[in-house]
Amino acid sequence: MTKRKLAAFLLLAVANVFAANAFAADQQWILKQSTLAYHVSHPLHQTDGVSHAARGKGVCHDGQCEFLIAVPVKTFDSGDSNRDLHMIQVTRGAEFPMVTVRTRLPESAATSATVKADLEIQFAGQTAHYKQVPFQLVTQGNETRISGTIPATLADFKIDPPSLLTMPVKNDIPVRVEMTWGSQ
Amino acid sequence: MTRKAKISLGIGILFLFVLAANPVWGQEGNATAPAQAPANPPAKPAENLPDAPSSSKTEPSLSDLGFSPEETEANARQQALLDKRTHMLKIHQRMGLITTIPLVATVVTSMNAGGKNTSSTSRDLHVALGSLTGDLYGITSYYAIRAPRVPGTETRGQIRLHKTLAWIHGPGMILTPILGAMAFNEKNNGQKVHGIASAHGPVAIVTAGAFGAALLSVSVKF
Repeated sequence: MTKRKLAAFLLLAVANVFAANAFAADQQWILKQSTLAYHVSHPLHQTDGVSHAARGKGVCHDGQCEFLIAVPVKTFDSGDSNRDLHMIQVTRGAEFPMVTVRTRLPESAATSATVKADLEIQFAGQTAHYKQVPFQLVTQGNETRISGTIPATLADFKIDPPSLLTMPVKNDIPVRVEMTWGSQ
Repeated sequence: MTRKAKISLGIGILFLFVLAANPVWGQEGNATAPAQAPANPPAKPAENLPDAPSSSKTEPSLSDLGFSPEETEANARQQALLDKRTHMLKIHQRMGLITTIPLVATVVTSMNAGGKNTSSTSRDLHVALGSLTGDLYGITSYYAIRAPRVPGTETRGQIRLHKTLAWIHGPGMILTPILGAMAFNEKNNGQKVHGIASAHGPVAIVTAGAFGAALLSVSVKF
């Protein structure tokens, strides 16, 4: 074997290694826009706290995508600063400042109209699991819009129901999710 | 074959071995993950959720999302401040509700405290209830004023009206008993209530109205 042939063989081998790395790279999803809104019911009034500050990332590998979405507790705005501060206090939002949601979905779910996700939510120092939460998907080009409602409760996170005029709020705090994801 | 050619061939075979161990087009390979699968795959998370997140190395972490450390780190001092604030405002709320009872009673007894056909007993009862209201109001306002402020928080929403109304019922709660005491003395001296003391009733009505509105402003959504 000549030196030239050996050199060419080595170059080809190196190129193959780089090609292998390039084609085996994971697909990623980035959260572009989001609206997360919790709903609280009290005998005297209803309240919604909204945040647009969530960030998220999804990494796909082996046909499965691991997603992480996080949002600072203090970014939820109910329209009343006093209520928001009480919310942060009762959920121990200064001690546990982030709400994180983890889920795993099949890569093929991106083309579905609906998907049921198992969610792991960390909030207020507690971790709660929600099975088979239904979400609606609308895909347009590289973007996928996801919407659904997480059936969260205060008891799931060991939060004492806040009260107003001695009347506590309801245990149910459904969280409405509207997100737009972009694939890379 | 020369010595150099043998070394080069050896390197070439090594590359081939690397290629074989690192699948290129298949689904099982990952350029960033170790090539060999673990002997014992990680156990499924709690409750055997079929699609629950795994503890794989591809899983994104909080640091990937670009939050600043100030946003993600726990702040025990801030939590303590919020706890103290909530504790004091809960007492404020409770005391405010309790204050409402003698306040309403004071307004009701005012019907028999003034005018021509009133007895000193009715006036004394009115004064006693008014004094109790003033004392309880003082305690209520103390817990609102002394509750710690959270830096960087802008007052928004109905709480703003609640705080604004305090500028009406606060001075009113100081002025009303002063004017009441003047009216009480004039009445006891057999005089007709006159001068600034005659404003006791209107000031008291405005004060009680502002207090009631402040209570409603944080109770009913509008």
